[in-house]
Amino acid sequence: MSDLDDFKATYFDECSELLTALEEEFAAIEAGERDSDRLNAVFRAIHSIKGGAGAFGFSALVGFAHAYETLLDYVRDGRVELTDEVVSLCIRANDIVADHVNAAQTGEALDADYGAEEKARFDGLARGDSGEDDEGGEPLEDFDIDFTPVMVNLGHAEGEAAVEDVFDVPPMAPAEGSWEIRFTPHRALYARANDPLLLFRELAALGTMRVKARMGQVPPLSDFEPFAVYCSWEISLSEPSLTEAQIREVFEFVDGDCDIAITQAGAVPAADLEAMEEDLLADAGEADLSSLLALTEDEMAMPEPEAGIASLLDFAPEPKPVAASKQDRFEEAPSLSFADLAATIAPTPATAPKPVAVAPKAMVPANSDGEESHRSNGVQSIRVDLDKVDRVVNMVGELVITQSMLTQQMDETLRARYTELVRGLEVLAQTTRGLQDSVMAIRAQPVKSVFSRMPRLVRELATKTSKKIKLETIGENTEIDKTVIEQLSDPLTHMIRNSADHGIESPEKRLAAGKSETGTIRLSAEQAGGNILIIVEDDGAGINRERVLKLARDKGIVAPDFTPSDEQIDQLIFAPGFSTAEAVSDISGRGVGMDVVLSNIKKIGGSVHVRSWTGKGCRMTLRLPLTLAVLDVMLVKVGESPYVVPLSSIVETMQCSRASFERVPSGGRVLQVRGEYVQVIDLGKRFGLAKPTGTADQFVVLCESEGSQKVALVVDDIIGQQQVVIKSLEENFERVEGIAGGTILGDGNVALIVDVQGLRTTHLHQNAA
Amino acid sequence: MTLRVLTVDDSRTILAMLHHTLSNAGFEVLQAEDGRQGLDMLKTETVDVVITDINMPVMDGIEFIRKVRATGQHNSLPILILTTETSQDKRDQGKAAGGTGWIVKPFDPEKLISVIHRVVH
Repeated sequence: MSDLDDFKATYFDECSELLTALEEEFAAIEAGERDSDRLNAVFRAIHSIKGGAGAFGFSALVGFAHAYETLLDYVRDGRVELTDEVVSLCIRANDIVADHVNAAQTGEALDADYGAEEKARFDGLARGDSGEDDEGGEPLEDFDIDFTPVMVNLGHAEGEAAVEDVFDVPPMAPAEGSWEIRFTPHRALYARANDPLLLFRELAALGTMRVKARMGQVPPLSDFEPFAVYCSWEISLSEPSLTEAQIREVFEFVDGDCDIAITQAGAVPAADLEAMEEDLLADAGEADLSSLLALTEDEMAMPEPEAGIASLLDFAPEPKPVAASKQDRFEEAPSLSFADLAATIAPTPATAPKPVAVAPKAMVPANSDGEESHRSNGVQSIRVDLDKVDRVVNMVGELVITQSMLTQQMDETLRARYTELVRGLEVLAQTTRGLQDSVMAIRAQPVKSVFSRMPRLVRELATKTSKKIKLETIGENTEIDKTVIEQLSDPLTHMIRNSADHGIESPEKRLAAGKSETGTIRLSAEQAGGNILIIVEDDGAGINRERVLKLARDKGIVAPDFTPSDEQIDQLIFAPGFSTAEAVSDISGRGVGMDVVLSNIKKIGGSVHVRSWTGKGCRMTLRLPLTLAVLDVMLVKVGESPYVVPLSSIVETMQCSRASFERVPSGGRVLQVRGEYVQVIDLGKRFGLAKPTGTADQFVVLCESEGSQKVALVVDDIIGQQQVVIKSLEENFERVEGIAGGTILGDGNVALIVDVQGLRTTHLHQNAA
Repeated sequence: MTLRVLTVDDSRTILAMLHHTLSNAGFEVLQAEDGRQGLDMLKTETVDVVITDINMPVMDGIEFIRKVRATGQHNSLPILILTTETSQDKRDQGKAAGGTGWIVKPFDPEKLISVIHRVVH
């Protein structure tokens, strides 16, 4: 990866953080917190996005961000009032910025006039128009933008070419005669740490230089003030191709902090130049240089008043060699590559000392002077590569395996004999568990990063469907493993689309049904034991069961003679191949059904459950593991093979006789557990490993998956409870129905992880078909 | 002698680019994420030149420059203002606070180096 790619990655990373921050700030602003801190934060975010975009030449983004930023600047200093209308324009603008960033990242081109309407509105507001009528006026950008993106040049081939172009600009003035420069610094020049010496050094690099110092104002040493200005200089520069602009550029930083007159030899000196000279001479008084020199003796070797600056500056006396050493390093510079230039100025990068890295916040010394105390208090953080954390997670995983292996090796005789060892192992187990939790906590991130993208989605959906929809988010600080969060965005987006498109009714329908005009989608996250629940709830019409069942029958997903329960019908929307075809729109259709949501969630070890109340709304619950790396399981045996069942779905284990399984007409079998009938799945049969054993006693693991419908898994033996490190099956092999992954056991054997929800769903369909 | 540069900017992208450019040019680079951090660093570190952004949280660049100058120990420390603003207004503000010069963002590495040499011995 090239450096530029690296920087781009950093930039897009930063952009996504800034865009998230923008969403947050505007949520607060919408809620009425219209203080300057919020506005400043918003301004800075847009400013930073623009700054980086300029560096990479994303000119569309720069243009839009610039116009937006200007509006924000006006809002900040009170020229534009922050009305609700402006707030909603800004929210829309955030979306557009996000789209521009996205386009820049993916390389897709947006329409040339994308965001033009909003930009025109910025201009209108900035000009003080009502905001509605923005015809006729010049767009803000055209008179205000003098921000030209300059592509980053990192010394790559195309960069060098560009640099050469800059220096090939033809001279503006004819190369005739030398330039005469009169230069008198003001006190302010020194106060800003500028130094005439440096200016002379730069001038010397431009051509052959002769300097005269006018020191008529130098006072006796007793009155000497170090920062006062006593000198002025006359400089003569001869170099055929030298232009006035080049000379002016040298004085760029001191413009206003000095008197400067530049004339070409032979030209009549400017009037102000005369005046300047007269001033100097008039104020000079009688400079008692001899007494000055006498006072200073050898401590301060002042040159003669008319001595060349060369000697004053300790340069060689002759004009040509004046800047010999400096010339060497500057003369060739333009045609050199950046790296070469740098090498001539300073030690070669290779020998240069390693630069100090970015100072982490944690290392900043405590604020001693008490002011500006609104620094982030308490939480300090460092930025770590996810790779590094992953390595630690993996190693901790291995440690967990080793630990559980050790525990397994301890049989009863050993336990009785080595009580100390047993105690040690227990402590080790505890520490391992603690270490593992801590490591997992490092990877944990608030779901906010995903939730924050949803308000925008809902706004878009509401606009597209002409509905009124409000989004409420709850528990956005709930933390989940980063890898889980990354997988969450798509399913969540789809679920919210589904709610907005199919769930929430049109304002008219809602009013007719006696509901408020505005529908609400509530997105919440909470921790429930070893799981995270993410719930998308809406107060819409609920699932149209009749239609769903009809569709499912038409598609052959449900057998004509089978009548599923309401809960089963609701769950049908996740069935593979099921798509409410009649309802496909450009919003939730897109050829993707809820089955994709289900499979995405399953991929990360989670499950989805839907509950619907006709006319009242619908609730979809995602149950996700806190982490993808380690799982608490029950180790069982099916035939000769070990399998593990996630502990999170186990209700109880039991032993019962084969005779207690009852056949049901659809061909399946059920087991009566305390008056409740539970579907039986024989794992041996299901995985094609073993025939049902002839023994009287069967081991059963009673599992509960989403929706309170229990299933009984029949196994040959139950070994015990332990922790395993999950290894992906897909990455190493392929997805297998009913299997959620694999793991390596303490004794080195591989065990497959049973996907209870998956088994149950396929079981239901098989029985239904 | 290796020049030490302190860069102050709240954008990680810009900090990374500055770091790359400056360290490739043989400078020693110190970085701070806002004016407050920059000010704290100057209490313990000696640098030859400072490059600071204007728009930053906690303490902005103008305030930062003003505070640096106010300490009295950094009268001759060149402070360059790195800004996307080309407007005279911002420059004047920066100058009034005691800024030595400015660099327009996004910067051209070669220009950046030459500007630094324009203000340091």
